[in-house]
Amino acid sequence: MIQIQQLAKSFAISKQSKLSDSEKNDVRFGGDRFHSVRNVSFDCAAGEVLGLLGPNGAGKTTTLRMLSTALQPDSGAVMIDGQDVIKNPLQARKRIGFLSSSTGLYGRLTARENIAYFGRLHGMQETELNHRIEELLTLLSMHEFANRRADNMSTGMKQKTAIARAVVHSPKVVILDEPTTGLDIMTVQTVLDFIQSLKQQGTPVIFSTHHLDEVATLCDRVVVINHGISAFNGSLNEFKQLTDSGDLRQSFLQVIQREAV
Amino acid sequence: MWQVYLKELTELLRDKKTLMFVILLPILIFPVLFGIMGLVMANVSRQAEAEEHRYVVIHADRAAEFADSLFYHKNFKQVTTTLTTVDELKQAIRDDKFDVAIVIPADFNAAESNLDQSKWQLIHNSSSQLDMISKHFNELLKTYSQKLQQAKLLALGVTMEQMPAVLEPVKVERVNTAESRENIGELIGGWIAYLLVPLCLVGASYPAMDIGAGEKERGTLETLLICPISRTAIVLGKFMTVLTTGLVAALITVVSFGGWGYIIGSMMGVDIVAKAMSTLGLVDLTLILALLIPLTAIFAALLLSLSIYARSYKEAQNYIGPVTMVVFMPLIVSILPGIELNWKLAMIPVLNVALGIKELVKGTIDYSLLGVVLLSTLVLAGAMIAFCVSWFQKEKVLFR
Repeated sequence: MIQIQQLAKSFAISKQSKLSDSEKNDVRFGGDRFHSVRNVSFDCAAGEVLGLLGPNGAGKTTTLRMLSTALQPDSGAVMIDGQDVIKNPLQARKRIGFLSSSTGLYGRLTARENIAYFGRLHGMQETELNHRIEELLTLLSMHEFANRRADNMSTGMKQKTAIARAVVHSPKVVILDEPTTGLDIMTVQTVLDFIQSLKQQGTPVIFSTHHLDEVATLCDRVVVINHGISAFNGSLNEFKQLTDSGDLRQSFLQVIQREAV
Repeated sequence: MWQVYLKELTELLRDKKTLMFVILLPILIFPVLFGIMGLVMANVSRQAEAEEHRYVVIHADRAAEFADSLFYHKNFKQVTTTLTTVDELKQAIRDDKFDVAIVIPADFNAAESNLDQSKWQLIHNSSSQLDMISKHFNELLKTYSQKLQQAKLLALGVTMEQMPAVLEPVKVERVNTAESRENIGELIGGWIAYLLVPLCLVGASYPAMDIGAGEKERGTLETLLICPISRTAIVLGKFMTVLTTGLVAALITVVSFGGWGYIIGSMMGVDIVAKAMSTLGLVDLTLILALLIPLTAIFAALLLSLSIYARSYKEAQNYIGPVTMVVFMPLIVSILPGIELNWKLAMIPVLNVALGIKELVKGTIDYSLLGVVLLSTLVLAGAMIAFCVSWFQKEKVLFR
């Protein structure tokens, strides 16, 4: 379903003097550009859940942004459901449901209106849209605040609305950037249940996270990104077997350290 | 594109701040402010008119007739003093003993027929803008001087019939070729532009901030960008929203000022508004609107470009502040006396529209010049929109 090959992206640096010494020591700092993502490759089949791990600033968000067509990669290829994302972004966007980590809602619109707006932007017809919204409201148990303005919602309510908005057009692929960060336990459970239900429908899900227990319960595949390179790409079992203890934390640290040596 | 437009408008209509700026400000707050200002000014000048000035006349007996006219004037009140020198009188006025002192020379004699000029002194504080003392004094002195003139001329053997020829050898009768509309237009035309153009800018700037920088600040931009509609459609939808609010703000203000002017006018029995309205035909109003639309489009594209570049509201405000200043510059030039629309000025943005509106109100517009104004504004508007659209495609603008 999803194949990513040797993705790379760099950003121009406007003021080099502003960088701290530690930033200049980063291996990705080269010339007047910062090579945020250098070489990321992985793939994900239908019905698989892929967990994207990596330290803060490793390039996870940039990778996901390129997947979602928000950013254009410098080189590499992204194929989603047989569509070349880079060559044909408009077609690819219809197949992708994306939730960014810092995502927000339109505060003066209600949950329902927020979802409907993006549904309409995806070209959905009104009857189909209303039907889909009702379905999502039930699935994410959002009925009690469906007509409340986003400004007056709690963080959990907002995140549910954001997720519903991301999948309103029934995407073929769902990409979630840190969907559980900063949420209470009940809402996290709703989000995880939702990912589980997507998986049962055969929709591949890629999500980045810092919580290894989520990886353990949900993921089929694990990708670790460090310094802009996919340092590990394999099944959950392969990841566990990196160390004798089978502890995910130990495996993760080993991958990170391996690269540093 | 229209999806974006409709949604942005819905959102703006639900925002109290926008409503304040675009609707409440012009409909209620502006007229109330102007009304209060007018009342205060009327009050001050009425008070100044009614004020009583305490005065002293030194050697009043030398010009008894003048002293009497002062004594019987309703705004003057005599007080007595023993002071005589100018310095002492000055000090007394500073100490608020009285308001004005008139020093008539001791040797002045109204009845004398010699032809020497007499020098009097008027001592008072003339720093006030409404210098009523001078005004009243000059009126009285004029009457008194005319009497003396007459007496002296009669003594010289000039008859009453010859008097006008001596006093005013040439009398000019003015014939004004300007229509009354031209006069009114010259007077208020510049100010109409001065009012309308900033309104279009202000009405556009708040929504521009909200749907540009606001979208980044809320974190909704990324999601919007990955929707399967082109970025051009998104930015045009946003642009139309900003354009609409700018024009609506200007229209509401014009209508509200017209309405208030009509109400106040009919209450006070003055029909300035009705007169002003009747001088402007429907064609002129349409043309004014036709000038304002591309100008507001320029503003909208510029504001939106700045706003989408900014990372937050605050940054956007910092960028938009100077734009307001820059727009005011040509407007100030347009109300300077002597500036008229010509081929060169028709090429300068903002100034050309302001002058065009002025000429339209005056009814003296040269239609080929108006065409140039319209064309140059349209071209610039098109260029600005094109820039805004291409600006919106750049990653370094969207993800800063």
